[in-house]
Amino acid sequence: MTDNPHNEGLKAARLLMVLSSISPLFIIWAIRGSKLIPDLYFTVFCGLMVVMPYAFLVFRIRIAKRLAEKRELAIGSAEDHRDHILIYLFAILLSFYAANLDTLRDLAAAFVTIGFIIFLFWHLNLHYMNIFFAAQGYRIFTVYPPDDGNILTNKAGLVLITKRITIPHGIQLAVYRLSDTVYLEV
Amino acid sequence: MELNFDLNNIRTTEFGIGMDDMNNQSFCLMAVDSNVQSALREMTLATWNAMIALNSDPPMYEASEKHESQEYVYLSLNDDLAHQMKLLHEANNLTINSNAFEEPTNIFCYFARLTDAHGRRLTALRRATQFKGALKSRFIAWRLMTDALKLVEDKIFRLDNDFDLLIDASNIHILRPNAFEFVGKLQDAILAAVPENIRMIQEDLPFVSLGSVQEYAINRPRAARHLASIRCQEQTRNIDKTSLKELCISTGVSIREVEEKIVIQEGHVMGFLEVLDRRRYKITLVRDSAEIFKATARQKINRGRR
Repeated sequence: MTDNPHNEGLKAARLLMVLSSISPLFIIWAIRGSKLIPDLYFTVFCGLMVVMPYAFLVFRIRIAKRLAEKRELAIGSAEDHRDHILIYLFAILLSFYAANLDTLRDLAAAFVTIGFIIFLFWHLNLHYMNIFFAAQGYRIFTVYPPDDGNILTNKAGLVLITKRITIPHGIQLAVYRLSDTVYLEV
Repeated sequence: MELNFDLNNIRTTEFGIGMDDMNNQSFCLMAVDSNVQSALREMTLATWNAMIALNSDPPMYEASEKHESQEYVYLSLNDDLAHQMKLLHEANNLTINSNAFEEPTNIFCYFARLTDAHGRRLTALRRATQFKGALKSRFIAWRLMTDALKLVEDKIFRLDNDFDLLIDASNIHILRPNAFEFVGKLQDAILAAVPENIRMIQEDLPFVSLGSVQEYAINRPRAARHLASIRCQEQTRNIDKTSLKELCISTGVSIREVEEKIVIQEGHVMGFLEVLDRRRYKITLVRDSAEIFKATARQKINRGRR
């Protein structure tokens, strides 16, 4: 018996969740503006990039609750990833805040870089790093199953977003599924 | 028999499928909405009700027994024959694979995984018999504004009315023994267990030479099933050598004794296994006319005593 390798599901959902992760950047851009694009268009564009992914995230959580998309997670160990938020803050927001958007080349370079970051976040399942969750007091843990010696147990780490401060070893939680690897406990 | 699970207080309902690719079994979960979850819970309840209606005090499953197509038997989850089902039941955080239906011909079973308010788990499993046909079926549907039926082609998976078996923390509750044997890969497990079963039985029967039995049973499922049943029921414990010899002789099983060990003659291994498995017996209702029978199915009447 083996685990079947497969693609992570909810591809479009994950992409929008990645976009919602970087949406604070668009708030900063909207405030700074660009000499190349009229403020009205640029602000509307940035506004949409902020609102749409957030709206989707809220929509996805509501759908998961309405359809009772719950599953049980057995927790063997849990790693707290508050440091991810810091990395996210410094690596994404501050570096892009300093980016110059006043020439066509700079603007194009900024968008291409964002494209790379979106792809990496999407590909590496880092779509859970979200200011929205942090602001509401949620913490992000990577959880692993107990070492039960069962060949069918999925040994891969899953991301759990929860308001718990610690997750004791051996606990079993009923959580909502946001994607195949990201779960929310409410 | 009680179910170690509260069917009236279910916290979560998950759905999964089992896939068999070149004899390599794997299991995964698939996301389902609340209506499907509700249907799965109804199926589970229907299965339990059907079991209770058949027998409130079920016998233990025996590999050598000829079972009805629908018959409530149970097997301890710690039994060697329950190995495959135990793995599935106790596996944590099963992988979610939303693309699992892409290869419907590999699907051999589907299951529901229920957790009650106390955190206890119940696995309900059904052998998949209609995936190959029904997943790409054509259906007739009624449409709005006209009474003409139209043909609809879609990928559809039909749930059954009940499950073949339920697994709680202690036992496998089996409604359809044949399905249990199929999904549990019992034939392979029973054949693979022959050397270990022989070793265990040999400990109880040091006065029998079992070499010929192992040689015979290693690739013969019927004989291997007898061995599994004999070991599982602990039927060889405290067997009296003289009584064994007498029963063999009286039921036509040819044996001889070499250096104080019973040796089974060629062609009589199955007969000897039937003797050990309490399936071969002699009755003499008509004077001077003994009859020897072989029981493909039998039930112990004085179940409390060994």
